[in-house]
Amino acid sequence: MKQETVLEVKNLQTYFYSSEGVAKAVDGVSFTLQKGETLGIVGESGCGKSMTSLSLLRLVPSPPGKIINGEILLNNTDILKLSDEELRKIRGNKISMIFQEPMTSLNPVLSVGEQIAESIRLHQGLSRKDAWEKAVDMIRLVGIPAPEKRAKQEPYQLSGGMRQRIMIAMALACTPDVLIADEPTTALDVTIQAQIIDIIQNLQKQLGMSIIFITHDLGVVAEICDKIAVMYAGQVVEEGTTDSLFEKPLHPYTNGLIQSLPKLYEDQEELSTIHGTVPSPYNYPIGCRYAERCPFATELCRKKQPELLTIEPGKKVRCWMYSKEWQGATLMEEMTV
Amino acid sequence: MTTGLQTQPLLQVNDLKQHFFLKKEKLFGPQQVVKAVDGVSFEIMPGETLSIVGESGCGKSTTGRSILRLDEPTSGEVLLFGKNLVTMSKKELRVARKDIQIIFQDPYASLNPRRTIRKMLTEAMSIQKIVPPEQQEARMIELMSLVGLRPEYLERYPHEFSGGQRQRIGIARALAVNPKIIICDESVSALDVSIQAQILNLLKQLQRDLDLTFLFISHDLSVVRHISDRIMVMYLGKVVEIADKHSLFTQPHHPYTKALFSSIPVIDKEHRKERIILKGDLPSPLNPPTGCTFHTRCPFATDKCKAEVPALREITATHKVACHFAENLV
Amino acid sequence: MTLFILKRLAQIIPVTLGVTLVVFLIMQMIPGDPAIILAGEGASQETVAELRENLGLNKPLAVQYTDYIKNLLQGDMGHSLKNNQPVFEEITARLPITIELAFYSILITIVLGLVAGIISAIRPYSFMDVGLMIVALLGISLPSFWLGILLMYLFSVQLHWLPVAGWDSAKHIILPAVTLGAGGAAIVARMTRSSMLEVVNQDYIRTAKAKGLKGYIIILKHALRNALIPVITVVGLQFGSLLGGTVLVESVFAVNGLGRMIVDAIRTRDIPIVQGGVLVASLIFVFINLFVDILYRIFNKRMDLN
Repeated sequence: MKQETVLEVKNLQTYFYSSEGVAKAVDGVSFTLQKGETLGIVGESGCGKSMTSLSLLRLVPSPPGKIINGEILLNNTDILKLSDEELRKIRGNKISMIFQEPMTSLNPVLSVGEQIAESIRLHQGLSRKDAWEKAVDMIRLVGIPAPEKRAKQEPYQLSGGMRQRIMIAMALACTPDVLIADEPTTALDVTIQAQIIDIIQNLQKQLGMSIIFITHDLGVVAEICDKIAVMYAGQVVEEGTTDSLFEKPLHPYTNGLIQSLPKLYEDQEELSTIHGTVPSPYNYPIGCRYAERCPFATELCRKKQPELLTIEPGKKVRCWMYSKEWQGATLMEEMTV
Repeated sequence: MTTGLQTQPLLQVNDLKQHFFLKKEKLFGPQQVVKAVDGVSFEIMPGETLSIVGESGCGKSTTGRSILRLDEPTSGEVLLFGKNLVTMSKKELRVARKDIQIIFQDPYASLNPRRTIRKMLTEAMSIQKIVPPEQQEARMIELMSLVGLRPEYLERYPHEFSGGQRQRIGIARALAVNPKIIICDESVSALDVSIQAQILNLLKQLQRDLDLTFLFISHDLSVVRHISDRIMVMYLGKVVEIADKHSLFTQPHHPYTKALFSSIPVIDKEHRKERIILKGDLPSPLNPPTGCTFHTRCPFATDKCKAEVPALREITATHKVACHFAENLV
Repeated sequence: MTLFILKRLAQIIPVTLGVTLVVFLIMQMIPGDPAIILAGEGASQETVAELRENLGLNKPLAVQYTDYIKNLLQGDMGHSLKNNQPVFEEITARLPITIELAFYSILITIVLGLVAGIISAIRPYSFMDVGLMIVALLGISLPSFWLGILLMYLFSVQLHWLPVAGWDSAKHIILPAVTLGAGGAAIVARMTRSSMLEVVNQDYIRTAKAKGLKGYIIILKHALRNALIPVITVVGLQFGSLLGGTVLVESVFAVNGLGRMIVDAIRTRDIPIVQGGVLVASLIFVFINLFVDILYRIFNKRMDLN
């Protein structure tokens, strides 16, 4: 099957300027997204995953944030070069987004039907009546019973799970090429999370869009993503297919993350941990940003930053261990076996 | 009793109820009641970890708060070493609280931002008059090392710490009075996985070293699986299943427990289950369904479930379920 | 909601009692005997005593007050000491004028305040914003009688655009209404600005942007509706100070409204008029507050559950 690239991000840098200095929230992130594919971006709080997703739609709060470098190519058009008017026509139409907090992401004083319909009127030029009908259809599509009645209600009359469905209906109303889902299930209970994931996956099959799924939950990405990018301290440290990443993680950070999860089907006396804490985005070390916490770090790691190396097609890692310069005695595989 | 002290439960909760009466909205409308906790009973043996799991609104946190009388329970008994906390005077309760402590989800919100760690620990020890003043210094240094913090951090303020460190401070404060049992209310839920692992390890180690008993409240099943000996599943203020963890994880009987387990996203493909997608949302606690409160979402519900409240009954010696058809569903 | 409204209506009883009692006591405390003032400068002791007897002024205070309340309950607000006109008629003659003045003032408060607040909030810390907020600060700081005199001097005395005083044509309304509404407009502008700035940082505004909506739709449809909720309360409170303000502004511009009536009555110690005027003013205030609270609860219901 021939792959068709929908979105390509090259060397994205989003910095925040404050009295404390410059925070390099996103610092050279690159990835590609194929048609119909689901890419997971995972990492812990402060790794820059959410800022990456907001940058894609130029929604970074500014000031203090600013996209200072990079390209975001949506079907070969650079979003960063668009005028405000051109950008508006893409937002919610070609790329749309759902957010973490279904409670606060909907306008509390407008009916949910109107919130969906206004986007349809805007991008598809439908009449008020037709747009409303389509909004009701969308609400039906995301599995909310009695959609005609629900459409007239305001967000406070809906449960958290239903609000997130409304967000999905809103995001997909104009059948976008790319859906960015920023922690869409984090605020929800597991049984509701299961419902939401189920709906997103079904709609992807029906509508054929590509998805960028941002989350801290490794279990969620494992279940729904085709490939995964792991972020640490503003950079992608590893990228690969879901299977390869969980079966054979290359980066010591990826491995550390997976190991520190409590296992559901195995008794463990002690969990393995990553010692130390994430470096401050105001003051990253000059070498590898993970070196301080890495059990394999050498002099080289502390002195010089590693590039994102391509190990094989579709598999990349930012670690000196996989470079020609590596002098350390052990490979990680030997250490962890 | 011939079996001796070891088999006496450390904490025994009998038919605990916590009903919240809402302010009337309509003049002649009925009084609205949220039965946040509705007849919960369980016991915890010394040195054991019992977890309460369930989704938001199931009453797990309210149960924890009611046990400590942070919210006054509506009825029921909470026996700590055989003494009923519910009927105690405030004065007696204050004394009893030295044996039972709580750690919250958000360590920052529960630490006074204007007090150094030293002040906070001193205060905790002084209230209970458990450590004579001349020994407090040594005790504080001991506490700090117990939770893995450097003693010089005593002079710092809460905002100078990271989330994981704050949770360690919360633990140190709880430990200051030498409690026998600690209630951990979503204590690791706000932490990143790598930090969460550190805190879970710390809790387990403290339990071993200090003979602690835990009541662990969490919505995260893998965390609960890791830390607990026994697990209690709650739904809409009631216990639906309680069992030792292996029995519960290998043979969940209640349809809700099964759905809950099947919903957890897992990394290992071989353990991935067919997801049971529950219909709809949690019913309003103001107007809970009749009979079995789960019947509105249960794929196996019958007319009996709509009419009769299922009792929590023993399936095996270590496994209790509140479902009319528990045997048929395994 | 019904329960809430009934509770609030029940509060009218203690408010009425409180207001009448306080006004009654204050009027007793201030120096000057109504009988002497009524009788005129050179009246004899006997005339004054007779007058006092006729007006019931030599009864004990408690009796005077309970008599007043008894009559009030029967719908009788008493008669003016000065011209023996029923107080009720005096008030109904003056009230429409004050209501008209208050209406235009609050209109100015709302329109000016909202427009200035929104413009400020769209580009915070811009020249426009800073300029408007300096004007708003002046608006809050200037007492209304002083502002009234300044406006009168500029537009009437110097420019001859508008009449100095009186209440005959639409032109007469402009200066008093602006004077009375300016302070409120300044407060509303500042409140709107801060409320808008808070709202534009909310998640749902980010959602609106992510949908590709046009800037003015985001501001007017998504942000303003939410930002108005706290502004409603402020406007409600402004009504209170507006009623107080009419007393001064009506005096400055010689408008024959309720406010001026009360001031004149205080000067002549016409106790029944003062009592009645203040009572009506406070009842209006109570009802407006109730109305604002109901509005606020309707709007806020959506917010509470978030």
